[in-house]
Amino acid sequence: MAGLKIMQVQPDTMLASGTQFYLDQFEQISDKLPGQNVDWLQSSRNNNLARFGKNGFPTQKDEDWRYTPLKPVTGKAFNLKSAPTSGVEHEDTRSQSALRPIPGLNCHRLVFVDGFPEMSMSDIAGLDGKVSVRSLSEVLAEDPETIRDLLDSVVGESSHGFAALNGALHQDGLVVMLEEGAILSMPLEVVYASNQELTLVQPRNLICLGKGAKAQIIERTVSLSDSSCLHNSVTEVILNEGSELDYYLIQDQSRSSYQVCGVWARQKESSRFSCHTVTFGGGLVRNDLRSEMTGPGAHCDMLGVYSLSAKQHVDNHTTMIHGAAHCTSNELYKGVLDQRSRSVFHGRIKVEKDAQKTDARQSNNTLLLSRDAEIDTKPQLEIYADDVKCSHGATIGQLDETSMFYLRSRGIDPDVARSMLTYAFVNDVLGQIKIEPLRDYLEKALGEQLIREKKLFGQTK
Amino acid sequence: MLTVNNLHASVDGKAILRGINLKVNPGEIHAIMGPNGSGKSTLANVLAGRDNYEVTSGEVVFQDQNLLEMEPEIRAREGVFLAFQYPVEIPGVSNLYLLKAAINSVKKHRGEEELDAMTFLKLIKEKAALVEMKQEFLYRSVNEGFSGGEKKRNEILQMALLEPHLSILDETDSGLDIDALKIVAHGVNTLRNESRSMLVVTHYQRLLDYIVPDYVHVLAHGKIIRSGDKSLALELEAKGYGWIEDHASAA
Repeated sequence: MAGLKIMQVQPDTMLASGTQFYLDQFEQISDKLPGQNVDWLQSSRNNNLARFGKNGFPTQKDEDWRYTPLKPVTGKAFNLKSAPTSGVEHEDTRSQSALRPIPGLNCHRLVFVDGFPEMSMSDIAGLDGKVSVRSLSEVLAEDPETIRDLLDSVVGESSHGFAALNGALHQDGLVVMLEEGAILSMPLEVVYASNQELTLVQPRNLICLGKGAKAQIIERTVSLSDSSCLHNSVTEVILNEGSELDYYLIQDQSRSSYQVCGVWARQKESSRFSCHTVTFGGGLVRNDLRSEMTGPGAHCDMLGVYSLSAKQHVDNHTTMIHGAAHCTSNELYKGVLDQRSRSVFHGRIKVEKDAQKTDARQSNNTLLLSRDAEIDTKPQLEIYADDVKCSHGATIGQLDETSMFYLRSRGIDPDVARSMLTYAFVNDVLGQIKIEPLRDYLEKALGEQLIREKKLFGQTK
Repeated sequence: MLTVNNLHASVDGKAILRGINLKVNPGEIHAIMGPNGSGKSTLANVLAGRDNYEVTSGEVVFQDQNLLEMEPEIRAREGVFLAFQYPVEIPGVSNLYLLKAAINSVKKHRGEEELDAMTFLKLIKEKAALVEMKQEFLYRSVNEGFSGGEKKRNEILQMALLEPHLSILDETDSGLDIDALKIVAHGVNTLRNESRSMLVVTHYQRLLDYIVPDYVHVLAHGKIIRSGDKSLALELEAKGYGWIEDHASAA
């Protein structure tokens, strides 16, 4: 049997009640989580725990989770680590390549492994005095009052069970605070790596930009091994008047991992929030992106690219709330689905009564490379104002045979032709990434993935 | 160079080519003329290896090899080039990228070294000048938003770059004004030499004023019903296809 690896779930890791398992875990581990001496945080944790205990995990009976089977996630016993593993192995090539910086990208960097900061790989030196980039545990230890009114202020109580679980049992995370007019001179990259089998990683991020402040932040989730982990993150974004945030979520975990990622944003007058989600990896990925524009003239972009194969499942839920007049939003999600992969897109746009002159666009386009792939796409528009422009559209298609023949008739290999056309399909979304080395990196990663999967593309004719 | 023996082909079960015989020697230009629906474009597409054209019988020998057994990309690498009647627009793929991928796959196949970026750029600028194509077109998506004339010039640019042994021009003159026609013809004539052959598929004689053929074949109902030299094209122009079809059925 040497060399043959059998993947199987051990019976003792399957749970009858996922919810009870995590409630018990809270009992065991809560005194080791960040912010022990911070009373308001403890009560927030308790509130979230109570909510999680009451509602539990969502199921497919919930409309918002209808197309995403959660059994593989909620049925497994993932454990929160109480302390960093000493001497994390980064010697194998997979770890090295996963943690390698993006070529040509000059950036500040913060690396977490299994939920704990890995300072030897981080570099946040030389920041402007008006810019603060710290880990959540550091902020909670040093001056917790600075985030008291901010943490857990955007997510709200109506969020789903995963967010409540994060609220109760979150670990460390990223806290970025920019004072009025401050500008982050280089992009900030935060890397969340999971490593040990059946680890639960629960990052909690807080990004708050003062008036007119500007920042670019890249959040990358990777796996250091083929182990099965659950990454359940919550990020809150607060954008004050005229501030601008470009936020890039790069999801590239192993195929045996799960990721539930929530980003909740609140935007004041004339702020701009641009969120790009690029998903290559992960066995099951669920993203909930929500932005509430509370001040007039705000703008929000939600752009997404996903390229999936095997039995990968990616579910993107977006909620765009136009709560004030003259706000604009643009959503464009493009997916390439091969083999038995599946994606879900649910785009909700809500235009409140006073949000006149709203301009909201939404579009979801899918390229199916296999007959067994599946997409469920659903727009949901709720409009309570009368002077608005809202549009939505969804397309599903296959590679154009004529284009394939055209490229082949110029001597180009069918596999290369396929990847050229596939790449062209998502190019207009990737093209909107403003950080050039990141864009190059993703274009290359996508190209390599398409070539790597070439034998899986089906017949070459 | 190319020998076509009793070639039959059908599209969606409908017989289009019903026994084509044709021999093209190195350095020759053959014009294929004929009325609409006679099978001209089918012949061009069958030679380039397009899917959904089914060869039901006959053979095609290209440089001592069985052409019909080759995949389209192999035909291209071996030196067959089809200039499309309707060049395809491919948004998101830059013209330059396509050209580079094409030339390098041909070079690789021939055991030659692939071109580095500098050498390629120099070469492509030289070829673009041949068809009077502005450099900005190289950086745009393939054929996207190009006019009819620009698309056809782009085809000739690809042809000039790949230097095929056998070029098949499928109604390259359609949709061209006289200036664009002259540019295209100039590009084609520059490529003309004693080792390269061409099949020029056209409905009208006009193109043949600029690309002068050695032979003219008239195709009707899937067969070559008459062959001659360039004067045949002029005669056709004067008398129309009806004349020759009547002539053929009477014979």
